[in-house]
Amino acid sequence: MDLLQFARGPALTWAATVFVFGITWRLVGILLLQRSPDFSEARNATSWLGAIKLIVTRSWPRREFRQRTLFAQSVGYIFHIGLVIIVFGFAPHILFFKALTGLVWPNLPSAVINLTSAITLAALIVVLVRRLSHPVLRLLSNFDDYFSWLVTFAPVATGMLTVAHFGARYETLLAIHILSVALLLVWFPFGKLMHSALVFISRGTTGALFERKGASI
Amino acid sequence: MSTADIDSIHPLELDQPRFSVKNPAVRYDKQGELPDVQRVELAMRAFVKDFGAVAATYLESCIHCGMCADACHFYVATEDPKYTPIWKLEPFKQAYKREAGPFAAIYRVLNLKKKVTVEQLEAWQELIYDSCTMCGRCTLVCPMGIDIASLVGLARHGMNQAGLVPHELWAVAERAQREGSPLGATPKVFKDRCEWLADDNQVDIPVDKVQADVVATMSSIEIMKYPDSIVATAKILNHLGLNWTFRSDGYEATNFGMLSGNSAWQQEASMKLIHATIAAGAKLLILPECGHAYGAIRWQGANIYGKPLPFRVLHISEFLAENTQNGAIKTKPLDKTLTFHDPCQISRRGGAIEAPREVLNGLGVVPIEMKDTRGLNWCCGGGGGVVTIHRADPIRYKAFQIKMRQVDDTGAELLVSSCSNCRQTFDDGQDHFHWDKTMLSLLELVADNLEEK
Amino acid sequence: MNEPDTLGAGLAHSGVSRRSFLKFCTVMASLMALPPGAAQAMAAALSQAKRQSVIWLSFQECTGCVESLTRSFDPTLEQMIFEMISLDYQETLQAAAGEAAESARDEAMKSSYGKYLLIVDGSIPTKDGGVYSTVAGVSNHDRLIDAARGAAAIVAVGTCSSYGGIPHANPNPTGAVSVSDIIKDKPIMNVPGCPPIPSVIAGTLAYFVTYGKLPELDHIGRPKVFYADTIHDRCYRRPFYDQGKFAKTFDDEGARNGWCLYELGCKGPTTYNACATIKWNGGVSYPIESGHGCLGCSEPNFWDKGSFYRPLSTPLADNAHIIAAGTLGGIAAGAVAAGLSRKHQTHIGEEK
Ligand code: SF4
Ligand code: SF4
Ligand code: SF4
Ligand code: SF4
Repeated sequence: MDLLQFARGPALTWAATVFVFGITWRLVGILLLQRSPDFSEARNATSWLGAIKLIVTRSWPRREFRQRTLFAQSVGYIFHIGLVIIVFGFAPHILFFKALTGLVWPNLPSAVINLTSAITLAALIVVLVRRLSHPVLRLLSNFDDYFSWLVTFAPVATGMLTVAHFGARYETLLAIHILSVALLLVWFPFGKLMHSALVFISRGTTGALFERKGASI
Repeated sequence: MSTADIDSIHPLELDQPRFSVKNPAVRYDKQGELPDVQRVELAMRAFVKDFGAVAATYLESCIHCGMCADACHFYVATEDPKYTPIWKLEPFKQAYKREAGPFAAIYRVLNLKKKVTVEQLEAWQELIYDSCTMCGRCTLVCPMGIDIASLVGLARHGMNQAGLVPHELWAVAERAQREGSPLGATPKVFKDRCEWLADDNQVDIPVDKVQADVVATMSSIEIMKYPDSIVATAKILNHLGLNWTFRSDGYEATNFGMLSGNSAWQQEASMKLIHATIAAGAKLLILPECGHAYGAIRWQGANIYGKPLPFRVLHISEFLAENTQNGAIKTKPLDKTLTFHDPCQISRRGGAIEAPREVLNGLGVVPIEMKDTRGLNWCCGGGGGVVTIHRADPIRYKAFQIKMRQVDDTGAELLVSSCSNCRQTFDDGQDHFHWDKTMLSLLELVADNLEEK
Repeated sequence: MNEPDTLGAGLAHSGVSRRSFLKFCTVMASLMALPPGAAQAMAAALSQAKRQSVIWLSFQECTGCVESLTRSFDPTLEQMIFEMISLDYQETLQAAAGEAAESARDEAMKSSYGKYLLIVDGSIPTKDGGVYSTVAGVSNHDRLIDAARGAAAIVAVGTCSSYGGIPHANPNPTGAVSVSDIIKDKPIMNVPGCPPIPSVIAGTLAYFVTYGKLPELDHIGRPKVFYADTIHDRCYRRPFYDQGKFAKTFDDEGARNGWCLYELGCKGPTTYNACATIKWNGGVSYPIESGHGCLGCSEPNFWDKGSFYRPLSTPLADNAHIIAAGTLGGIAAGAVAAGLSRKHQTHIGEEK
């Protein structure tokens, strides 16, 4: 078995398994914790509307916070959108999802993907530099933050090298790229990358609780 | 420590712009004689016990983006990273991951998250108490929607169990538990005050009526520092011709048990109001101009009672708004420009955001809004018990400057709010900075301008 | 086989003109990207060279490689090769059979000991004492060891002798291995492909005859001159790949437009071979040009790398079951974790 076979075979299989195992473990482990009933008289009965409202509106900063958070939000947006474009727009990736789910959608031209990758990579570097230099972020950051950054950065970087056939043979690059994705999948459930699922739960929770009270969301 | 000791170590200070206990020469920020290991153990147990799916969701979700810092007046005023809201919960996040989270077993076995130490908790006392008013502004910026303020409330349970409440906050909470009021407004003091206020002002102030439709309550800050509020409340309720009363077994609406993190004391204080209202057969409980009282009774009351409350709960501003809008209260127009400070617990976190504005409209004024207003207002810096803590004064004053700037920028002549704790924080800030603005009470403003029938 | 001794004389004898001989040398030299003037040198060297004694052993194979060589469109190529060498033993091609053939081989092995070139096609079964392929009662394994002893070098022709090939494919019932798995002390050149391109076989032989040594090899023993680039590197459909234009089925618009076959499972990007440059059938076409993706036949284990129609960027295995199991396991683990936390909480609650 060569490296590529290992990457496409056992590595991906086990990474995907750990991925779903960890995600369900963590989500179920949170959601099944106790919830106490709220007997207070609701101001608004339609608390679910608040959940939806907060899930949607918290996607951009309120006017009052814009000035102080603009830079961080923008860079965040750039690399998140970049990742979505790369992950879901690149033809070989769509094939990957097709193999897993059977779903297909049109791919984007490679030139778009290449440009996006470059921008995303740059944004990720900015994010890291900011984390290392901003006093608040430096204080808050732990292993999870840096490792999660690494496992996000690595697939983008190795993906670009693979497409460019740069640095090693294609099959080696492709194998490394796939292995870096496997690493991402394995780490995903255990670190902050889970925010991609938790963001809905967390925002929804606050949205519903606050809407009930008529509090600001 | 005997009661006499407590009173001599923590004497009240009622002649300053801010009412609390005197600035202690020696601080007792550790209560009881527990060994340190046990303190940590108790803290963690209390923290874990109150844990539910909601808090877990929050603690799991933080992405360490640091944006909450930009919403918090204590960080913005000092730019000191330790005042980053979520950092204030660091030991509790650590404890949660180790003790209660879905991967707790892994964290414990591999010791990936260390056990919290008493040194950590002691170091965090300043962050959990002195530098968080639980104003919830950070909650509104967090891209993950984490309600950080509620977590600080939970963390205080742990700190209280560990006996790590700041000197002054513990002292007032203890006094409230013992005497029924944190600032010496015992039932006897309250009744006496009502009596002489009634005489002085020629107004009927019913106390302990056997049956009443409405039970009114007061905050000890009002009773001791702003007694005019008692008169104002009586005037308005009499004006409306309601069958109402104060009750000496349930008049004190502040809840320092809640602010210090003592659930048992919180429960006892809340149950007093609930039982008194039920005993009077009242259909309505009016909460005074006090922010945290609103949260304690309006939103937590029924849950402490264990079932829906058999009466309505309104903040005085909501009560005034209802009666202004239905025309029962008529006021003389106020010929002044004015700005309104939203008390965090009533507006942002309580949901009574428009009520005070409706009342002001009744007075013929449209308030000049501050740049950040309503749910997004900046906290005065004194809530959550912070104003009682002398040690917190320096950062509180720094944070207060944000507020002063906002008020000054409106250019309004008058400054009004509907929380007596905000009011005393403003008084204290005014005194400290020799500021020209005096905080007024919405309630008193209405009472003073009532149109006689 | 009793022909004249030098190659030049032999060619003249069999009626190959000097002109076509030079053309052959030029083609070979250019295929191998040899420096200018090499064709002349090659021609000179070749015509003077004594015909190289070659012993060709066929083991567990399908004869496709020999077919490829002999069926090559250009009769002169085949002719060239057989003029270059004195094929002293080749079961498929030789006239002799049985004991006569065996003794011819033994004779050549003795007379050219240390000088003959050993060509092998087919893999070597090793399970059960190698019983799965024997010639004259001798297992392939033993025969290989015996023949390798006196060889100057060994050329493994085809993927089977190079890397095990199809017999080696999972579950490999015969325990098939490659030449280099057994022989460790001789220079071995792999000329993989299933089958290899005829000109590649010819070129490498010409090189050995001309220079008396094997050309430079890559990390898995292939002559770099032919195996340095991937099919994908040289594929004429590459511009479509770069633009992200892919045929989705074999008969769609994209397929008709000649778009890239990556999505249809083409293994070109990971396959090192000369198909895209030299092409097949004398340069007429090659599989991708004929509308089918590369199968990766010149790579080790090409048979075990998932379906030929599974794109390279997809997982090899069908993960549905294990993923479903993982999900259920996660739910269980989560429920247990939450249950423990709750129990812990009630416990603390009751203590108070
Ligand atoms: S609740 Fe208010 S004071 Fe506390 S951390 Fe958040 S913004 Fe700061
Ligand atoms: S804003 Fe929210 S997600 Fe960001 S660091 Fe603060 S609590 Fe964490
Ligand atoms: S058809 Fe195959 S070899 Fe040609 S460009 Fe596409 S993937 Fe590469
Ligand atoms: S195109 Fe690929 S599979 Fe086809 S012969 Fe060439 S290397 Fe082998």
